[in-house]
Amino acid sequence: MEPLTLALAKGRTTSASLSVFEKAGIDFPDFHADSRKLIFFDTSGKIKLIFVKAVDVPTYVEKGAADIGIVGKDNILEAQADIYEMLDLKLGKCKVAVAGSAETDRLSNQSLTVASKYPAIAKNHFQKKGQSVETIKLNGSVELAPLIGLADVIVDIVETGTTLKENGLSIIEEIEEISTRLIVNKASFATKSEVIHPLIQQLQGALEEAKA
Amino acid sequence: MQPYVSGSSKDASARDFQIKETLTATLKNRFATYGYQQIGTSAFEYYDLYSSIAGTVNKDEMLKVIDSSGKVLVLRPDMTIPIARMVSSRQAATAGERLFYVQNVFRQTDGELGSKESTQAGVEYFGENTAENNAEIIMLAVHTLRDLEFANFKIEIGHAGFFKELIKQAKLSRVEIEQLQAMIQSKNTTDIETFLAGFELEEELKIAIKKLPHLHGNPAYVIPQAEEIVRNDAMQELLQNLRDVYEVLEAYEVEDAAVFNLGLINNMNYYTGVIFQGFVENFGKPVMMGGRYDNLGEQFGSPLPAIGFAFDIDDLLQARKQQKLSVPEPGAPDFVIEYTAEKQRDAFRLAYQLREKGLTVLTFPAGSSGGSVAAKRIKLSQDGIACSPLLDEWADEDKETLAQLFPEEKGDE
Repeated sequence: MEPLTLALAKGRTTSASLSVFEKAGIDFPDFHADSRKLIFFDTSGKIKLIFVKAVDVPTYVEKGAADIGIVGKDNILEAQADIYEMLDLKLGKCKVAVAGSAETDRLSNQSLTVASKYPAIAKNHFQKKGQSVETIKLNGSVELAPLIGLADVIVDIVETGTTLKENGLSIIEEIEEISTRLIVNKASFATKSEVIHPLIQQLQGALEEAKA
Repeated sequence: MQPYVSGSSKDASARDFQIKETLTATLKNRFATYGYQQIGTSAFEYYDLYSSIAGTVNKDEMLKVIDSSGKVLVLRPDMTIPIARMVSSRQAATAGERLFYVQNVFRQTDGELGSKESTQAGVEYFGENTAENNAEIIMLAVHTLRDLEFANFKIEIGHAGFFKELIKQAKLSRVEIEQLQAMIQSKNTTDIETFLAGFELEEELKIAIKKLPHLHGNPAYVIPQAEEIVRNDAMQELLQNLRDVYEVLEAYEVEDAAVFNLGLINNMNYYTGVIFQGFVENFGKPVMMGGRYDNLGEQFGSPLPAIGFAFDIDDLLQARKQQKLSVPEPGAPDFVIEYTAEKQRDAFRLAYQLREKGLTVLTFPAGSSGGSVAAKRIKLSQDGIACSPLLDEWADEDKETLAQLFPEEKGDE
């Protein structure tokens, strides 16, 4: 039987995610986060792990290149992928928020320019509020944008708020709570149910144990 | 020169088109063996037709056209509504009619540039809501997927009424229902829990809604679980409906291809009964969707219960390609005839006769291009007839064909 493919997001929750698998009795002995290898197998050979960039995980899973994926909610929201989002690993907790400087005219009716790594999340958020915005996609140092007049506000991930504070920015409104999720390809869930359903239950068991 | 290539281009090369035609033919043949007859509908429908029926196609997704009298038309964004309109508005609508179609539908999705057209092949059966009728159409979907050589596929079966019955008791606004629906569709229990926490609902109802996405799998597993959340007779009846359909599928011996998914919700709001969708391995979206819609006919003046489904041909092609399933080889010509000027008439006569027999023939004046086509070659010149490869190496039937056309002359190069 073909092994199940698991897409794991590179990033700060990688090792914590793998320890959830470990608790569920699934080990990837060869795995090192700094290895150049991109494909690893678990000890039983039934699960193939591919190690990919976090933003790409929802795409891999939606398109069926991976059956399941472990990735942050922020990337799921941004990708708007058509997938099942089945477990909350409760790792890497933070939030997506709108932030700006003290002078920012608190999201008045004027048309806003929003800089973000997450243009889709930003756009959806303001659309829901009935406000038209222009989004600017940036790939890093988003906090800089309001300081140099590139944008009025930013939409970004906030963990402790330190980075914001150091740049004279503060949270204006919170959009969504973020944590690491387990996502599943819709076709795999139906066609490979005899492997996927038990795996999800195993992981769920491990998560509940950790909570208790 | 300006390149006129749109991102949503549906231009098909000869080879791609051939592959698509072969696949379409497979579907059409299968539909026909279950007694379905092909029909066609107009590419244009009245915008009012779609806007008057609640919960169908998003208005922004439709491509609009204005006719000379100022009426707004749309390029048909789906097939079920036009067919229901056509059948219901006829004077004597015939129950028991089985119709199929292969047509393009047009929708523009937000964010994608240009318009989007996709080819749908589907069936509509205007018959009563019985377990036999419902199961037969699911059987047809299974049979078609087998024809297409998919090794691993599953039909998920649910019921449109299940979610509707539950939600009726919750008294949520339309926007809230849509949010909840999206969460159930992505089986997102975490967010459902957070969402429901903000509402004053009976605890039992909350548990039932949270459980809905997980009612997925074999009936033996799903039915007892579903019974725990059944809250009234209506829901009990829906469940019985599904049980009955499954029993008929067992009689068809295709129960392995089917699973229950009570968290299945179709965005088309007109479904009233059994709904289903087909997945093939590793292809993240359903290649087939369908269900029972018993009230749609009333919108057009005659209540006609019906059930149907549609395959997305482009998705099927994509999925087959992804799974590296064999595709038909492009047809090479059977014969190439080269001729010198004085033999032109003979060459054309020969080509005509061969084509009459259904063989593919290309003709070229000697010395012109066309020399690279791999085929049996016949060269007509003053020196007579030359064949390559040598006539001896030809298959017997080809030799015979040629011998019949040239009883006396024969020559090898």
